[in-house]
Amino acid sequence: MIAEVPLSARGVRVRFGEREVLAGVDIDVRSGEWVSLLGRNGSGKTTLLRVLAGLLRPDQGAVLLGGDPMAGLGRREVARRLALLPQSAPVVAGLTVRQFVRQGRYAARGPLGMLADTDDPHVREALRATGVDEWADSPLDRLSGGQRQRVRLALALAQDAPVLLLDEPTTFLDLRHQVEVLELVRALQHERGLTVVSVLHDLAQAARYTDRVVALRDGVVHADGEPGDIVDSQFLRAVYGVSGEVLQITTNGLLKTIVVPD
Amino acid sequence: MRIGGLGVLLVVACFAHISVGSTGAGLLALFGDDAGARMVVWELRAPRLLVGLCAGACLGLAGAILQAAVRNRLASPEITGVGSGAVLGAVAASTVGGLAAQPAAMAGAALVGGLVGGGLLWVVAGRSGDVAVRGVVVSAVLVGGTLLLLTAKPQLAGAVSRWLLGSLAGRTWEHLAPLWPVLVVALVVACGLAGVMDVLAVDDDHAHAVGLAVVPWRTAALVTAALATAGAVAAVGATAFVGLLAPHAARALVGPLHRRLLPTAALAGALSVVAADALGQVVGVPAGAVTALLGAGVLVVVARRTGGFG
Repeated sequence: MIAEVPLSARGVRVRFGEREVLAGVDIDVRSGEWVSLLGRNGSGKTTLLRVLAGLLRPDQGAVLLGGDPMAGLGRREVARRLALLPQSAPVVAGLTVRQFVRQGRYAARGPLGMLADTDDPHVREALRATGVDEWADSPLDRLSGGQRQRVRLALALAQDAPVLLLDEPTTFLDLRHQVEVLELVRALQHERGLTVVSVLHDLAQAARYTDRVVALRDGVVHADGEPGDIVDSQFLRAVYGVSGEVLQITTNGLLKTIVVPD
Repeated sequence: MRIGGLGVLLVVACFAHISVGSTGAGLLALFGDDAGARMVVWELRAPRLLVGLCAGACLGLAGAILQAAVRNRLASPEITGVGSGAVLGAVAASTVGGLAAQPAAMAGAALVGGLVGGGLLWVVAGRSGDVAVRGVVVSAVLVGGTLLLLTAKPQLAGAVSRWLLGSLAGRTWEHLAPLWPVLVVALVVACGLAGVMDVLAVDDDHAHAVGLAVVPWRTAALVTAALATAGAVAAVGATAFVGLLAPHAARALVGPLHRRLLPTAALAGALSVVAADALGQVVGVPAGAVTALLGAGVLVVVARRTGGFG
């Protein structure tokens, strides 16, 4: 099921009451690339991610997942093709890391298949790949924020889906854990050939880790391309509404911006 | 191991329950020569014990299901509209319908009431998930309806108070007949849904993300809880706190996975009701009064220990 364009949106419009949050968005995510959605608060980036994940049905337009209209796919079929790391992270007291990560197998095993306590190679592999196997039998509520985020990533990996969506994966993490999570996602992207779409707040991180940025403004795509090509002072003004200077973008993606308030 | 301990306690409570009463007869009377004692144990105490076991199990199970389905540890049959709807159904059937003497009809009326109550909460709370506060509102309306019926037929107040308070007095084999199949069906369905409830208990976005269709599965869980609650309420009335506390006890014993939590909550509920009724017979009050008084105390202790139910 590896399609050239595993995930795309066509003319997506979403209204919340009077406000049109997405006003006709087209996006094609190519196989194996990491796309980050950028924009200021309220620009529609999280809404777009939720539409791409199938959590929100667009009022108009369509999302294609592996070439098929998502609206025609069942919930489990969507989850077999696409894994999502949601932004919110509630924790059930006493649930162990392994028990939580096993829930990632729901789409593959079904409601009755979840009852058996079989040793699932996908769970084992997800625990290993994210480096959380040493805490596998610890309760999730005893882990730190950074550890929990790795566990949630393990859950998404256990789904064994070719597309991974991340909704602000570094929020609530300190700088070290932010870098750790992003490095981990990049390693997984390359090792497993995952297609990744993430909402990121940090422009420098987006430029450092992602292959392409899609900047939203007022519910439409304002700019779409490689970070080195499109991020400049005009971009900062248009997308974030700040005056700033982009100092350098070197080949390894390091980017420095200096923002000067008006 | 811990379930074993719970089982031993349950057996002890059953022995105590069948041995209390105005005559000194106990379980052994069933095999003795004294026909009167045998009759007392077989016709009065045995059905009362079994009704208590099944009703308590239903309430514990319903509470555990509800706490997962609406993701609120304070959820219980009482405050989700299901319990008070079932009471209203039973009271309406006995006052307006004159069906008090027909246990199967009472069970049906309680089931319909429980489903209506649960449905009402579904309409009021919608997708907001704010079940705790809105459930209290829905329950208050349903209790108000029950009191209105009582005002209209004050001569039935005595008979009806059993449903409001929860009592096992005078329960017979006839009351057990519609109750045990309800327990079996609810238990089997709930255990089948155990894996679904593990996922639902986390978060809606999480459930969607792993591929679970939230609305139909949550509805299935709520209907199962309504069924169990209605069965229990039709037989013994609203026995306070059992549906709230039994799941907490079970969670402390076996952890949060529902394939262990659900049967354990049923056991804990059965133990609570049987023990409460045994104690109640000794001191001369209905089982519901015992669970209400002791349950309130236990709730305070649990809330303090765990830092609330948030």
